[in-house]
Amino acid sequence: MVSRREVLKLSGATAISASLGAIAQDIAPADYELDIAAVTLDVAPRRQVKTTGYNGQAPGPLLHLKEGRTVTIAVTNHTDHPEVVHWHGLFLPPAVDGALEEGTPPIAPGTSARYTFTPAPAGFRWYHSHVMAMGDLTRGLYSGQHGPLMIEPRNNPGLYDQEFFLALQDWDGYLSASEDGAMNPSYRVSTINGKALGSGEPLRVKQGARVLLHVVNTSPTEPHWVALAGHELAVLALDGNPVPRPQRVRMLRLAPAERVCAAVEMNNPGIWILGEVRRHVQAAGMGLVVEYGGQHGAPRWQQPADLSWNYEQFATAVPIEAAATPAIAVPLVFESRFRGHGAMEAWTINGKSYPDTSAAPLVSGQRYRLLFINKSRDDHPLHLHRHSFELRSFGKSLDGSGTARVNNVGGIIKDVVLVDAQTQAEVEFVADHPGATLFHCHQQSHMDQGFMLLFTYA
Amino acid sequence: MPRCGFLLLLFVFFSPMARAQGNYEIQVYGSETVPPANLMVELHSNFTVEGERETIDGVYPTNHQLHETLELTGGINDWSELGFYIFTSAQDGHGLQWVGDHIRPRIRVPESWGWPVGVSLSMEFGYQRALYSLDTWTWEIRPIIDKAVGRWYFAVNPAFERTVHGPDVNQGWAFAPSAKISYDFTAVVSGGIEYYGDYGALSNFVPVHNQQQQVFLVTDLNVSPVWEINIGVGVGATAATDHFIIKCILGRRFDFGRHSPVD
Repeated sequence: MVSRREVLKLSGATAISASLGAIAQDIAPADYELDIAAVTLDVAPRRQVKTTGYNGQAPGPLLHLKEGRTVTIAVTNHTDHPEVVHWHGLFLPPAVDGALEEGTPPIAPGTSARYTFTPAPAGFRWYHSHVMAMGDLTRGLYSGQHGPLMIEPRNNPGLYDQEFFLALQDWDGYLSASEDGAMNPSYRVSTINGKALGSGEPLRVKQGARVLLHVVNTSPTEPHWVALAGHELAVLALDGNPVPRPQRVRMLRLAPAERVCAAVEMNNPGIWILGEVRRHVQAAGMGLVVEYGGQHGAPRWQQPADLSWNYEQFATAVPIEAAATPAIAVPLVFESRFRGHGAMEAWTINGKSYPDTSAAPLVSGQRYRLLFINKSRDDHPLHLHRHSFELRSFGKSLDGSGTARVNNVGGIIKDVVLVDAQTQAEVEFVADHPGATLFHCHQQSHMDQGFMLLFTYA
Repeated sequence: MPRCGFLLLLFVFFSPMARAQGNYEIQVYGSETVPPANLMVELHSNFTVEGERETIDGVYPTNHQLHETLELTGGINDWSELGFYIFTSAQDGHGLQWVGDHIRPRIRVPESWGWPVGVSLSMEFGYQRALYSLDTWTWEIRPIIDKAVGRWYFAVNPAFERTVHGPDVNQGWAFAPSAKISYDFTAVVSGGIEYYGDYGALSNFVPVHNQQQQVFLVTDLNVSPVWEINIGVGVGATAATDHFIIKCILGRRFDFGRHSPVD
């Protein structure tokens, strides 16, 4: 059996040889530079979070890239452990996608790496650390290594007056006993763009303006619901991809790694709170003030009575016709393994944990239907690297009581989907980006504990 | 025999037994407290298969006593709770008798403080009838330290007890530690060992022969987050200890809080 460490060594070696061909590109100056280093965030007047960030901040700088225009990003690792940057949602070769398991080389402590790639597809993406954290709740996605990445389409209609990028993050994690009988991360602080509610600069808007919000949940493990008091949010895109049926909603739900682009008509002057709907999370800091020009007073919050969200409201209204080429079904069963009340659970895909997980090689050009069979008691935000997929079916209960809550829908293109506990969801994608492709739960604690699978191409 | 010598002998011989409230509640505490707006209802059933057979100084023998203790614990907030006990005893010839009541506030170090071990502090104060204990009013301070590491669980309760009213009132604080080590065989079934000791006064431990030393083989059945089941058999290793006890704790947590998905 190949150990996890050996797999990482092998994949790293492959990627290093692949990167030799890019040495010539190293001579040219980089378009962007990212420095990975320790940073102390002043999340509130008397609350600091010591973490690791990009360019001395968390979230990292907004990177505005042009679709189809090759870019080079130089990354220097000033920490004392290897790092890697994943360009989440892009169709990139494995050598630069930013996953060690696919073959992207790690950035050794004190060294630099250059990521040269041609960004695609257009839309709201993000970049983040993709190392394992294991028991260290300061590394990987637990850290401040995340930032917004906007891939501008060749033709941007620009149907908005202002745009804001918002990152939802949970900080200062610790392990606590949960009702599922295992240890799970909990957090002391939650922020939007690294600031607790009332501590950062407000979003200053003008009455009558059309504001575009690009929201990404960078949390290592937690889903978040956010609302803007006094306003509705018109959802235009999920995970950076336009939805077939834009809808006005009271709140957004974002599982870890999900993004939502929503337009807001600023037609209700005042000082408002944009924040987490759940009281305890907003109390932990997740919120910010939205301030109309010329308005004064204390920020106002209107507490929703419940949580509401579903994917299907954005899907095509009528069932789409079956694809000309039938998709090959790939069942993936997710389960946990108890490892003691004082430990996190181990995770399996089809009975095995990474690196022992496996699937039949993908055939280029073939359409696949991934059957996400979540037999566990946790919800899982599932992410497929280097590809997008289309939601087709979800909400099917695994207790044998009935069919899928939503079946045979189409038009929602994503790279992360939240599959509820004890349900089955199905997505389809075309294997059109040859190379090693990582699939995993985007909860850092779950991927650390084996919830990963590496697809390969035949 | 001089009067003071007789009293000393009485103290040495009976004080561990008299102090041993544990035969009504035989439990090593974990650091976790009951959540706010929750009520934990526990029934402690302890049967002394082989214990003291003689009535001594008016105190009923423990042999074949069935102790049924009802424990009600309400969560106050994330770091404190208040417990209340009703002790009873059933025995041939004596019927079902009320023994006494205790009250037990407890505070804990919140989990969010990130301490490497769980820590809480319990204070127990109460009355028991002289038919069951010569020391009728007692006070206990019980620090609690625990830790779960993988499948292993460790807990230590270095408790200190003193008599407020009774023959041992001048004895001062006594040391009565307990400890537990268990292993999770599965998510539901854990098994381990619990230890209960009583060494007598801190200033003057009694001889080992007269100390209380009990060891229980126990299993915890984690069938549900709202149920608590602990079953054990214990042996006493010294003359001053009941020699063979069977214990069972059956607990059910009731949540009276109003929970909203947006809380």
